Amino acid sequence: MSAVHDAGPGTTGRHRVVLTGLGVVSSIGLGVKEFLGGLREGRSGARPITVFDTEGFAHANGCEIVEFDPLDWIRTLDAQHLGRAAQFSAAAARMALEDAGLDAADLRGRRGLISIGTTDGESYDLDQLVEDELKGGAGAFDPVAARRIPAGRLSVAIAQELELADAEAVTVPTACAAGNYAIGYGFDAVRSGEADYAFCGGADAMCRKTFTGFYRLGTIAPERCQPFDADRKGILTGEGAGVLVLERLESALERGATIYAEVLGYGLNCDAHHQVAPNRASVARCMELALDNAGVKPAEVDLISAHGTGTRANDITEAGAIREVFGTPPRTVSMKSMLGHSMGAASALGAIGCALAIANRFIPPTINHVTTDPECDVDCVPNQAVEADLKVVQNNGLAFGGNNAVVLLGRYDRPEEETC
Amino acid sequence: MAAETREERLVVIKEIVCDILEIEEDEVSETSLFKEDHNADSLRAIEILAALEKEFGVVINQAELPRMVNLTGVYEVVSEPAGW
Repeated sequence: MSAVHDAGPGTTGRHRVVLTGLGVVSSIGLGVKEFLGGLREGRSGARPITVFDTEGFAHANGCEIVEFDPLDWIRTLDAQHLGRAAQFSAAAARMALEDAGLDAADLRGRRGLISIGTTDGESYDLDQLVEDELKGGAGAFDPVAARRIPAGRLSVAIAQELELADAEAVTVPTACAAGNYAIGYGFDAVRSGEADYAFCGGADAMCRKTFTGFYRLGTIAPERCQPFDADRKGILTGEGAGVLVLERLESALERGATIYAEVLGYGLNCDAHHQVAPNRASVARCMELALDNAGVKPAEVDLISAHGTGTRANDITEAGAIREVFGTPPRTVSMKSMLGHSMGAASALGAIGCALAIANRFIPPTINHVTTDPECDVDCVPNQAVEADLKVVQNNGLAFGGNNAVVLLGRYDRPEEETC
Repeated sequence: MAAETREERLVVIKEIVCDILEIEEDEVSETSLFKEDHNADSLRAIEILAALEKEFGVVINQAELPRMVNLTGVYEVVSEPAGW
């Protein structure tokens, strides 16, 4: 059983990789159960932003997390030494560990990987530091806040919180597709046998800097996010963290773990076509790369969890790319309609939503939907979740700079003889 | 000193535009086109709009961006909320 595990690099086989634990910090619920409930009922996380001063903006709704207490989850570290995003990531990792039925003490002697994607790192703290500096000069910096800033903390905090000494901790800063990048990295590590387990996902905290940037680009919706709707007006900024536990199929079966889904493969590319405009051909290419990596034909995909930001540019470009690859697309939903755009956490939360959809046989809806834009022309499962038997689900993440990452998940059906 | 005349205001606008487009002031005329002649893109256009709002204390609707193709167009757009 341990022969493959102990084999050196280059001699390792290819393992099947499954998801056995999910941790969620989101504006529609904390923890996987609440998140599942939110997805099923089409809950909206939109509310007026309170984490920063919104005076001067004509509108300032966002998908803010309001009932998060880091002390509920963070036990080893002093939560004051973690920025808001690192608190989210460490809390989500603790939830994922517990959800997986794993004991951190058992993981300590095994090789692990922690990969967390982000857009902004601890820009919320940077906002505060700049404000302090403007008021009182550089000497007014809060040294505790300054130490929270490095984005590497988002993954290292998980290793420290769970006391996983033999784990590589990386923070992947590929913006709004970073969660999928992080899952892809974890998939490779577990698949190759380099790591026995991986904690992968993404985390971001709402900040004034990013809200202002999107606002200035004219891409913030006044009230709600309406992906694929003819009347869509843009994104709502959001926040949160999603962390997924990846392990080998054999280890999951051995310990009788709940298997949400199998990670079938992923694809990523970067076209650097434009700072903010997505490139249709490149998005299509990324989906093809993912399908090839997963060994899945387009016709086998039952559902696409779209990047679906609710901007004019994204939704038309993404829907066009989907049609290019799939011909007639499968149902294509956007969880951002509920969660807003949680940036680096977005595709991690999307992947968790996909795993829950597979395991619980339903499709989360695209809420706030009135009239589908004929230029998008996808069945976005408007407003109401539907029951569905899903075998293969695709999760898209597309980021500024043309950083694209697509993950494919599949249902794992336990063979009869192995259930006894 | 606040710019009082059209010429004075145009000097200020030109400085802003040249700074953002990273071009010399003698390269731009009142009618040379930001996009076609000076390689501007949509992000630069928004930067120009934001800088003008700050400089002149006005709010410019982004729907006006298509009119802001050159210095003359910019002057016209800014003049409306500024009451010039």
